Amino acid sequence: MPTVEDRVRQVTARVLQIDPARIRLKSSFTTDLGAESVQSVELVASFEEEFGIEMNEDEALAVETVGSAVDYITKVCAQQGVAV
Amino acid sequence: MTVPTRPHPLVDRTTPNLLEETFDYDLPPLIKFEPHPVVELIDGRPVEFDFNSVKTRDIVVTDTTFRDGQQARPPYTIEQMVKIYDLLARLGGPRGVIRQTEFFLYTKNDRETLDQCRALGHRYPECTGWIRAVKGDFRLVREAGLQETGMLTSSSDYHIFQKLKFKSRQECIDSYCEVVDAAFEAGVRPRCHLEDLTRADIDGFVLPFVDRLMRMSEQVPEELSVKIRLCDTMGFGLHYPHVELPRSIPKLIYKLNRECGVPGSRLEWHGHNDFHRVHANGATAWLYGCDACNTTLFGFGERTGNPPLEGAIMEYIALKGDLCGIDTTVITELAEYMRTIGLPIADNYPFVGKKFNTTSAGIHAGGLRQDERIYNIFDTARLLNRPPRVSLTDKTGADGVALWVNEFFGLKGDDRISKIKVHKLARWVMDQYEVEHRLTSISDEELEQKTRELMPELWERYRSPVGAGR
Repeated sequence: MPTVEDRVRQVTARVLQIDPARIRLKSSFTTDLGAESVQSVELVASFEEEFGIEMNEDEALAVETVGSAVDYITKVCAQQGVAV
Repeated sequence: MTVPTRPHPLVDRTTPNLLEETFDYDLPPLIKFEPHPVVELIDGRPVEFDFNSVKTRDIVVTDTTFRDGQQARPPYTIEQMVKIYDLLARLGGPRGVIRQTEFFLYTKNDRETLDQCRALGHRYPECTGWIRAVKGDFRLVREAGLQETGMLTSSSDYHIFQKLKFKSRQECIDSYCEVVDAAFEAGVRPRCHLEDLTRADIDGFVLPFVDRLMRMSEQVPEELSVKIRLCDTMGFGLHYPHVELPRSIPKLIYKLNRECGVPGSRLEWHGHNDFHRVHANGATAWLYGCDACNTTLFGFGERTGNPPLEGAIMEYIALKGDLCGIDTTVITELAEYMRTIGLPIADNYPFVGKKFNTTSAGIHAGGLRQDERIYNIFDTARLLNRPPRVSLTDKTGADGVALWVNEFFGLKGDDRISKIKVHKLARWVMDQYEVEHRLTSISDEELEQKTRELMPELWERYRSPVGAGR
């Protein structure tokens, strides 16, 4: 079963239309991976869909790196009783 | 380099100070003065003016939409004028903040309009007339049954000699005063319009003329005593302190009010906008002691126009700190009506332009979405039936799209949806510009269609749109 990290990489690669190999845990969504304003919103929406969770808009959009996103999503899944 | 002379320590807070004593969102921002008089040097002596007195003085808005306003456009029909008059009455409210409006009296249609307006039974705006300074014209005023009429009493030598061809100032004053006498005899209050006052010889002509008018007024009952309209015919008036006569509004009002003794209740400012000063000049006249500010709807008047009535109304509320019975939503009704009869109003025109409270910048839309007070001048939904809106372009971002959707569906409080939920619509908007290379903004109709297509659940849930401007 793919890990949270694997699934975050897959979603990020699909939404930003980039090679998954470029994505590191320390990669910044904006400065390293080139996410523009609307793409940041699309990423959050896609993570919600992928994991079946609801994220706080301000908190989710404040996440800067892929690693932080993995941590934040793991935390939200636990809070909302979603197994990952 | 300027040396700092006073330290300014930070007053740190953890909660915002929104200065709501001034920026009460339910009203236009209040205009507050410090509790000290304003001092202007006049004839070398300091003269005090108490701006705070506007709170208690009976300052009023007067209207000349049907006279000066009509000089700038094809004539209104009788039906249109009656409709506008009716709306003005509702706007100004029962206290008569819009105190008077003036009518031409020369044609059958002029008189028919006046009759139909009066037949509506409104106490305010009072109907007054407008005639030339010709004795025979009082027959028209008498026949119309009006209590007051404006009459041209041009005051600059440009008019006295170059236009009216008087041989001397004495001949001119004698002629004007004959007409004033005729008004008294007819039982009609004359309102002398000092045309071109801001280009006149104040000491040499205007003050002697007004002195004589005041002496004449002493011989008649108070209700017939002469009113004075200060006409800034070419927009030369200036509101700054220490300006020389004849362009200084403070000094003009001082001379007429305190030297000639014309009470503020009988002084009226009439401006023109040739130098973009018209609204500030009108408000300045109020502050320095002139009780009436003459205006036209949306500023339409001869050449560059007059003080906009709706601007004066907002200024009035801001000075008084209260709506005073005014129904500001009628401003929007008036604008909508005027558009239907062909009056052009620019999209960015304050208070009534189609985009006066519409933003297309994403960063502004983001602010509006968090707290509309950040980028809205006051509660435009409450006061003008016009909630703040966004116009969607490539600069608007997901914030703007979310704001548009929330306004479109009329969602409030916890029902408002986040920008995460509108990501498909936001993507479509961005693709319009990035992929389709669109150059125009996106219309409400297009967005409505796309919302239905891309967010069908939302559409089903809130399918009765109550968005602004719909």
